[in-house]
Amino acid sequence: MKESTRREFLRASSWAGLGLLGAGCAPKVSDFAQKPGRRVVVIGGGWGGATAAKYVRLADPSIEVVLLEPTREFVSCPFSNLVLSGQRTIENLTFNYDGLRARGVRVLHETATMIEPDARRVRVGTDALPYDRLIVSPGVEFQWDQVEGLAAAQDRVLHAWKAGPQTVELARQLQAMPDGGVFVLTIPPAAYRCPPGPYERTCQVAWYLKTNKPKAKLIVLDANPNIISKTGLFRAAWANYPNIEYRGSNKVVKVDPGAREVTTELGDKVKYDVLNLIPPQRAGTIAVTADLVGADKRWCEVNHLTYESVKHKNIHVIGDSTIGLPVPKSGNIANAMGKICAVAVTRLLNDKPVPTMAPGNTCYSWVSDREAIAVVNSYKIEAGKVVQIEQKLTPGQSEAWAQNAIGWANSIWQDMLG
Amino acid sequence: MRVFTVLLLVLLVLVVAGPAVAGPLDMPGASQALVCSACHGFAGESRSNTMPILAGIAPWYFKKAIQDYAAGKRTSPEMEPYAKMVLQSGVDDIAAYFAAQARTASPVKLDPAAVERGRAAAVQCTLCHGVSGKGDPAKGVPDLTGQPPGYLRSQMLLFKADRRSPGDEQLKAVKALMRTIPDEQLADLAAYWSSVR
Repeated sequence: MKESTRREFLRASSWAGLGLLGAGCAPKVSDFAQKPGRRVVVIGGGWGGATAAKYVRLADPSIEVVLLEPTREFVSCPFSNLVLSGQRTIENLTFNYDGLRARGVRVLHETATMIEPDARRVRVGTDALPYDRLIVSPGVEFQWDQVEGLAAAQDRVLHAWKAGPQTVELARQLQAMPDGGVFVLTIPPAAYRCPPGPYERTCQVAWYLKTNKPKAKLIVLDANPNIISKTGLFRAAWANYPNIEYRGSNKVVKVDPGAREVTTELGDKVKYDVLNLIPPQRAGTIAVTADLVGADKRWCEVNHLTYESVKHKNIHVIGDSTIGLPVPKSGNIANAMGKICAVAVTRLLNDKPVPTMAPGNTCYSWVSDREAIAVVNSYKIEAGKVVQIEQKLTPGQSEAWAQNAIGWANSIWQDMLG
Repeated sequence: MRVFTVLLLVLLVLVVAGPAVAGPLDMPGASQALVCSACHGFAGESRSNTMPILAGIAPWYFKKAIQDYAAGKRTSPEMEPYAKMVLQSGVDDIAAYFAAQARTASPVKLDPAAVERGRAAAVQCTLCHGVSGKGDPAKGVPDLTGQPPGYLRSQMLLFKADRRSPGDEQLKAVKALMRTIPDEQLADLAAYWSSVR
């Protein structure tokens, strides 16, 4: 009686995909140059965009939905820290988009290159897709220039902060590191994607080293003064890992891959055998080029009820790229925003009132190979703004929360892509 | 004449009721229930082992569960914040929405041997939940059938340890019963009731 839904989910998706293959060839951007009826274009097929695309179709199947997502497969960031400790494989976290295709979403594996708000068109190179409403869910982009030496060393200094090949490579480097070696993990200043993610990663790397390389050490250089999420719970978990050396207020400003050394703002130089440098972040590139970001040039402000951009009409922004709501940049929040935005967009296109809907956030972190902790936030709308009702933490770490984490993951992957 | 009257009544009902509900998200409560689908599945059709299926759930049971979670009687750091949210966003509409959804039994794979062992032991449950396992709303007894086995087992363990709604008079009998059942048999009972349609 184990969670076996991933395999079943993939099997079901494959059948749905086969059905669609029989219907014709893969669509091309040029197929969408004309807009015969109402159309929503979604940029980005991650936690927010995939959910939004699915739920627009659910809410009103008469609306055409075109999803622009350059990668052919979705890889889940949540649970990807378990790849580092060997508890999961990346294949185990990889899904296709056939479930969305079966719901009638037209999936184009292309990159949106420009948005023309006045003409209501998205450019993909020389092709253009007209839309009635646009949902932008571009995730985050790294600010390479914030760390000296990083831009030139992007291929050698791993972030592993977008689950995929870098996650696998970092796991390989961790496994190959000599016992007695030093693994350095650097954490950028908030705001960044997944606030507890680096601290969960700390647990997974420390667990792996404690189990397999007892003489090795993990140095965590955190730009923030302290652990910024689930603080007490992570501190308690780290009591089991004497191999962690945590240094708060240690912002990394320079990397030298040749010397295998990072430098902090304080001028401290730290040598490493394996480096995982999580760079500072901003909204995905299309949000910046389309002028959806605010004065900080990093994040996008939105209406809290509809997720419509405060800068451009008929363009909605969801997920990690947003700012101004009292919510973390998490997959669960992006999924919630995707659903709320989908309902809002369909109501607006049907000239109906938009219901008042608030997001929720359930966030598990694995602190060992079998135990997890969690934080849960619920919200409401007050005077047109999202406000928190309550935040609740698990009283400690346990295998039961880990089982709930698995249940959550299987459910929410299905909610996005099934 | 009678046919004419019936037709007139039907026409009147249609006019008063307005257009039919258009889509799966147009029902009152549907949009407020979307926050639940991350864990409980779209329309409450949980596919996971740990999260209960909400589709087809009796409104009285849903509302009691929400009130108990919000009050901390059912201890759950996950559900307490969401229960408070549901109370604020309209528990009656959300309960009605889930009650109106068609229930499909949990897809979690069951061990046939555990199901058979559970079937043999399930007679002790039927006194309150009925032979069908569908429960009795008049006595506040819920439907067990088709729920994920992991969820059923965890609730039985909570009853056994008196960690679900301590002091609730209505639950005295079920807790006393659970204390007489070995943990291994709870897993068998969970498998059996999950298998019942």
